[in-house]
Amino acid sequence: MSSDRRVQPSDVLRPRHVGAPIKRTEDLRLLTGRGEYSADRKPDRALHVAFLRSGQPHARIAGIDTAAAEAAPGVVAVFTADSIADDFKAVIPFSRMPNYYATPILPLASGKVRYVGEAVVAVIATSRYLAEDALELIEVDYEPLKAISRAELAVADGAPLLHEAAGSNVLLAREFRKGDVAADLKVAAVRVGGRFEMTRKAPLALEPRSYTAEYEKRRDAITLYTSSNIPGIVRDAISESLGLPGHRLRVVAPDVGGSFGSKGSLYPEELLICIAARKLGRSLKWTADRLEDVSSSSQAFAEIVDAEMGFDANGVATSLQADVIGDVGAYSIYPWTCGLEPVQVVSFLPGPYKIGSYRGAVRGVATCKPPTGPYRGVGRPISTFVAERLMDLGAKALGLDPLEIRRRNLVRSEDFPYRIASGIIWDKTGFLECLEAAAEAVGYQQLRLRQADARKDGRLFGIGIATYAELTGIGSRIAVAPGMPINTGSETAKISIDSTGAITAAFGVASHGQGLETTLAQIIADDLGAKFEDISVIQGDSDEVPMSTGTYASRSAVLGGGAAKHASFLLRDKIKRVASHLLEANQDDIEVFGGQAVVIGTDRAVTFRQVARAVYSDMKTLPVEAREELSASYTYDPINGTTAAATHIAAVEVDPATCFVKIHKYVVAEDCGKIINPMIVDGQVHGGVAQGIGAALFEELIYDDDAQLLSASLVDYVIPSAPEVPVMEVVHIESESAVAGGFRGMGEGGTIGAPAAIANAIADALSPLGIDVSILPMTPERIFKLMEQARFNSRGKADE
Amino acid sequence: MKPARFEYVAPASVDAAVETLLAANGEGKLLAGGQSLLPLLNFRMARPAVLVDLNGIKELSFIELRGESVVIGALTRHREIEHSPLIASRLPVMSAAMRHVAHLAIRNRGTIGGSLSHADPAAELPMMAMFYAARLTVQGPAGRRTIAAKDFFVDALTNCLEPEEIVVEIEFPIPQHDGWVFEEVARRFGDFALASIAVSIRRGQSGIEDARVAAMGVADTPLRLEDVERRLCEIEIDVRMPDRFCEWVRSSVSPNSDLHASGEYRKHLLGELARRALKTALAAKGDRR
Repeated sequence: MSSDRRVQPSDVLRPRHVGAPIKRTEDLRLLTGRGEYSADRKPDRALHVAFLRSGQPHARIAGIDTAAAEAAPGVVAVFTADSIADDFKAVIPFSRMPNYYATPILPLASGKVRYVGEAVVAVIATSRYLAEDALELIEVDYEPLKAISRAELAVADGAPLLHEAAGSNVLLAREFRKGDVAADLKVAAVRVGGRFEMTRKAPLALEPRSYTAEYEKRRDAITLYTSSNIPGIVRDAISESLGLPGHRLRVVAPDVGGSFGSKGSLYPEELLICIAARKLGRSLKWTADRLEDVSSSSQAFAEIVDAEMGFDANGVATSLQADVIGDVGAYSIYPWTCGLEPVQVVSFLPGPYKIGSYRGAVRGVATCKPPTGPYRGVGRPISTFVAERLMDLGAKALGLDPLEIRRRNLVRSEDFPYRIASGIIWDKTGFLECLEAAAEAVGYQQLRLRQADARKDGRLFGIGIATYAELTGIGSRIAVAPGMPINTGSETAKISIDSTGAITAAFGVASHGQGLETTLAQIIADDLGAKFEDISVIQGDSDEVPMSTGTYASRSAVLGGGAAKHASFLLRDKIKRVASHLLEANQDDIEVFGGQAVVIGTDRAVTFRQVARAVYSDMKTLPVEAREELSASYTYDPINGTTAAATHIAAVEVDPATCFVKIHKYVVAEDCGKIINPMIVDGQVHGGVAQGIGAALFEELIYDDDAQLLSASLVDYVIPSAPEVPVMEVVHIESESAVAGGFRGMGEGGTIGAPAAIANAIADALSPLGIDVSILPMTPERIFKLMEQARFNSRGKADE
Repeated sequence: MKPARFEYVAPASVDAAVETLLAANGEGKLLAGGQSLLPLLNFRMARPAVLVDLNGIKELSFIELRGESVVIGALTRHREIEHSPLIASRLPVMSAAMRHVAHLAIRNRGTIGGSLSHADPAAELPMMAMFYAARLTVQGPAGRRTIAAKDFFVDALTNCLEPEEIVVEIEFPIPQHDGWVFEEVARRFGDFALASIAVSIRRGQSGIEDARVAAMGVADTPLRLEDVERRLCEIEIDVRMPDRFCEWVRSSVSPNSDLHASGEYRKHLLGELARRALKTALAAKGDRR
């Protein structure tokens, strides 16, 4: 724990909040319908926005006739790209990456449409019903162009260009190298490889994207309530685009019903609603319906990876190479660029393993689909899927147990800090400890015996392991997305005690389900010495701190928590100084806890309220120079960030009759450093694994050859529900971390490990049939096809 | 995703509802539980001029024994059928099938008349209507008529009703059987079936005296497999029977491929379910699963 804190004798007796499974304070309002989401805002006589979206995957817009819509009942305005052209500057998702083309972000399609679902016209009316009625009266004259439905088609000779100015459909290309892979592969005792794919996925937050722009005439100011997890970035981008200074543009993320990355980029609709609010001098509302949310929010994965790994005779991985093609969709997203997801695949592919040489090349290719963007785990679900499949293939080829081959290859405690080929540095983390703890918790040896018995009965029972490492709480030295110019390496906490003794702690981070109001208050309670219930956490409001970005990339416990700690210490020292006057004692003899300052070893104490009264109200008690305002602000930057790691082990069974996969057992052993709230950590793991199960077995956005989305409803886009998610066991390894408080980020890990663990378990289950797993999700249909093929092959062999 | 404009009428009797439909001139649509219709309205895939809400017609909601049949009023909710002791004792296959009808919230609202009229080929109640050889009483401007289930389902999401006709009640003749099974596989519990089979038999001295077999999720309408039923009664009961049954069932369907499953997989699944179902039905004389 913090070294700058004097250990007091009473510490052992004092209950601490960090580490306690405190129930989430936000849940009372959220579970009783008293939360307030963007769509719950009720500004005066708000107008409603509806978007006409492209039904064409790729077409030139020859003309738009809005006359009938403008004359329709209740319609106040109809906007097209042309009619708002002078009201904003395009937002450019800039990056210093070489070989990258930044597609500009426009509120409405201009000149061309590039995917089905792209917003083309905005109708503003007195109700959403009337706005949608008017949409039907708009005539768009499209000249259809050839659709690009798959990444391979985009790079084929003679492929139509999605962005003519880019000169290519390859929007980015990058390569990482370490050592001589070709030479190492040549001398490898065993080489394994394959072509792996994770299909396109929807993040699918419970609350669809929703924006309310409240216009204030008096100051020509806008408050944008947005279901965003990056309100700070949205504020800065819209401010720049619209030429509105920050004190006339407030961006608030109120209660937000999940994101999983889908609300972690700037959206065209956010720009449009602010432009329209200003143009009309009115407040506006828009909430995506489910179809709009699925077909226009940023999507996930969509990568094909050709990979090969070489091992020496002892099962030590010597070399790894991969060629990745990412189907990034029609546009880059702001601020992360279209490189975010695919570049992370090659950045993280070596994972937690010591691999001698590496070559990882990636291309991000434009197709007629919505952009891919951040999704819980970013790049690592597929990099882990590929690396862990290769480990298992290597183990099989060498006759090693999958557990043993990982023991031989994981970065060991004496190797930290360990730099992998892409430049990522793993700080000291319990890689091996997680592996061993997961194996013990799942009863690995017993499970193998159970598998042997099951196989004797002809049952398809499999065990799968996945180990991974991720970078969390990233500081200013590392860009969250490659070459990105904005700072995502710091966060600010501003804590104050007002004249009533109440404590308000303001942050720029933006919880959208993480429970930060609880965990940040836990940290402050301990480090300020306050009562937990006296602390109110405000977050996600651009007016509260000068600069912030938001909550993403497993950063808020590390950055927000670090800022909370330091600001708490500063404020605690102020309290001590005031209390030393009031208690006539030396500051060093005062300790602060439970909302009061106490002279150590005595019953002399003052409450925060008494301290506040002395500073603010009762002007007779303190000398003038001692009346310090009871507030402190601290901007924390962990500089590099910190590693988090886990091992997942799954035991599954495939029913040969139905081809369904049943998960019998699921164990996660994770290292997120010092745990702030074990109940919240467990919840994050459970939720992450549930999403990983979705990626492994269920979820797939299916586009046909004309780039039309076929699985656009929740009937066709199948997500796991409660019965499909097994009871899981979570083991915590709390190894020390160098950042403030010793925290590591852990919001994404579940989603990173689960697809790989389940894929390996299915492959293990089906191995008696000679079946490999190289694509996710493994739907019953895919398993059926593989089993049919295996049956056909074995029949063929029997005939020979 | 808001519906286009419509008039809303809530008649208090079937006669008044028929009158309203007649007045709507083919532009009327009946609202019962609304579990399929409301999404269609919101997507503007259905755009009736008049929405005729049947929910106020209380006499359409009942389950009663009438002679050798169970008769169910068209406005009876799935939840009432699911929990009816009368259905459980006389139409046990239907009772078992009801658990697979979507989710609790949907079963609270959805009605049997609505489900049959919607004619989804992967829904349980249309399949049960085929399985039990139900007779639907419908009322129109010319009065009432009765339609056999096999004539009612014309195609996927298409029934044989005239625009002014309303399903009033459904009669399910009670079969005298002693072994039965309902099997269904869906991606998730409560989803539309990838394949489902219902089997019910009466065993005699030497073999099966009478059999009922129905399947769904494998064609544009639910299927009653009468050929398979006949063949079951023609052979002796032995260990090979489930395998032969599986083959007969497989060869009597040719399902189409869609987003969720290929035709080959649905056929495989139905065959596997058939084998399992007959084993259970033969083993569990009078017993239920």
